[in-house]
Amino acid sequence: MAYQPPKQGFVGQIVDVAVLLVMTVGALYIPLYLGLAGAAKTPRPIENPTWEALGQNAAEQAQWQALGIADPAAASDIVTARFDYSFSWAALLVMAVLVIGYFVLVVRLSDKEYRDVIAERFDRK
Amino acid sequence: MDVWNILEYCAWALAVLFGGHMLIDLARVDSTYDNDLLTSSREGEIELTQELHKL
Amino acid sequence: MTLSSAEPTVQAQASTQGGERLQLLRVLGPGHVWALGVGIVLVGEYMGWNFAVGKGGMIAGLVACWLAGLLYTCVAMIDSEVTSTVAAAGGQYAQAKHIVGPLMAFNVGLFLVMAYTMLEAANAITIGFLLDTVAGLQGHSGLHQPPFIVLTVVFLAWLNYRGVLATLTFNLVITAIAFLAIILLFVSVQLGASHVPLDFSAISTDPLPYGWLGILAALHFGLWYYLGIEGTCQAAEEVRSPARSLPYGTMAGIMTLLIAATLTWYVCSGLIPWEYLGQAGTPLFDAARVTGSTPLMVLLFIGTIFSTLASANGCINDASRAWFSMGRDRYLPSWFGAVHPKYRTPYRSIVFLVPIALIFALGAPLDQVVTFSILSGLLGYTFMTFNMVMFRRKWPLGTIKRGYVHPFHPFPAILLLLICAATYFAVFLGYGSQLIAMMCFYILASLWFHFWRYRFVRRGDQFTMPWPRPQGC
Repeated sequence: MAYQPPKQGFVGQIVDVAVLLVMTVGALYIPLYLGLAGAAKTPRPIENPTWEALGQNAAEQAQWQALGIADPAAASDIVTARFDYSFSWAALLVMAVLVIGYFVLVVRLSDKEYRDVIAERFDRK
Repeated sequence: MDVWNILEYCAWALAVLFGGHMLIDLARVDSTYDNDLLTSSREGEIELTQELHKL
Repeated sequence: MTLSSAEPTVQAQASTQGGERLQLLRVLGPGHVWALGVGIVLVGEYMGWNFAVGKGGMIAGLVACWLAGLLYTCVAMIDSEVTSTVAAAGGQYAQAKHIVGPLMAFNVGLFLVMAYTMLEAANAITIGFLLDTVAGLQGHSGLHQPPFIVLTVVFLAWLNYRGVLATLTFNLVITAIAFLAIILLFVSVQLGASHVPLDFSAISTDPLPYGWLGILAALHFGLWYYLGIEGTCQAAEEVRSPARSLPYGTMAGIMTLLIAATLTWYVCSGLIPWEYLGQAGTPLFDAARVTGSTPLMVLLFIGTIFSTLASANGCINDASRAWFSMGRDRYLPSWFGAVHPKYRTPYRSIVFLVPIALIFALGAPLDQVVTFSILSGLLGYTFMTFNMVMFRRKWPLGTIKRGYVHPFHPFPAILLLLICAATYFAVFLGYGSQLIAMMCFYILASLWFHFWRYRFVRRGDQFTMPWPRPQGC
């Protein structure tokens, strides 16, 4: 006998959409509120910046000028800014477990549901 | 009040116009047609008539 | 063909009386598929890819461009084989439903909707930013951006609402212009139109400022060159002959993008110091500024606006198809699975996604939105690897007719998985907390679906392809 799903009322449909929306907005804004978001570059300014000290040759100097930055001091922050790529192995491990665990969970539960689908589709004839 | 301020108001007006047209049409269609007809689309129906998966 | 290409209004009336059904309209050709795929992606050349240079230096930027190109060639090959066989709106969503199972399909549907809606929001933010820049150049500081952001989203949604043929023809035109703008910039620079010479000395003086780790880190934004090309499959129910047009349009698209990406890297790296390039908002427009030629500046400004519009337009198209398909299968409330009787578009989904896109476009910072989009895309590519292996295992070659069979299986799938793993690591460097928040979101959503939502879904009806029973089930 094929599975007969219950009929969902109008209010139920709205509640389901609202639940999904709250989860989505939450995932995006929670890291923002906790101040965990984003990777920022930090400039490492040098004393008395000149184009030579910043390692810019003649052609590159002309390019900076064309971009509207004529003064080496103004370019200094952009040129010396670097990312910090240090990370903790524990955090990497947490991430790996989450990603792999997620896919294992989804594929296993899917497989359970899939067998029902195939059985109902191919056995009812 | 320069040209950019005017453009801001134009943008609001146009957005309301396009959005309003969509919403009115949605309300009109939903009240004119039967919901069962509107949601009658099924996946793979054209498959049966057009794509033959036999070798 | 004759059945479904009849006059839409006439057929809709016929269906009311004859108990027939409303379907999406089959009107698109391979050119539209190309426009949908390339249109979504080309904006990546106009903004965003250059953060890869910032994360690892010039060489890392180029290596990331080609590695990501390799990843996407695998994606296109794998996707073409499955899509030319499972041709249904929702693309990868329908593939997951037939090959892996319902919960996976629900997740893939969410990946698609998230990736495209976030990308659409990012595009709207960029248009606001660009207009603000232009207003600033004309002496009007502090432009109020929200009206332009709202107008972009609402206008494109309206266009999508009114019919797919006009929407994608519009996309074809503006995408072609944006692509030509890149070619023209390259040719003019080669012919000496630039007052400032090309300079690649940073390659030898400062080859890898972050070492080899920089190349890995650059992969995060290297994806941006191509992200979204797989969206071509969303059009499957609206293409006149999907088994032929989809692989054709997708492959032509990836070739276009490989050319555009390499040209863009060459012109921008030659004309802009890499330290500036690594943080520029609109790199191609900046390259045109460096040349000192006003026609080139105007051309690249138009190119930037058009590519952004084309991308947002394609995103609305794809996100609404995915949302519509999930509604049709009752993975989401069935209310969303409706087709407009006259325009034959998934109109309720299109309207519903407008405020969602606006929440993100008006409320969240750009890099956050972009990272969310990239991550959803990345999860989707990871899914494709095992999806392909399972597809060949459940229906080996010869059991069903495939429109296209990709060579060297399973090497593309393995390669794709390796590059995906490297990219997770790249995202982790710097955006680890977002990655974890995002995984928690998908795990929660999965549990919600499995234990609550799935009860409203008809079991056997989900399998719609006229295929034999899968092997081993």
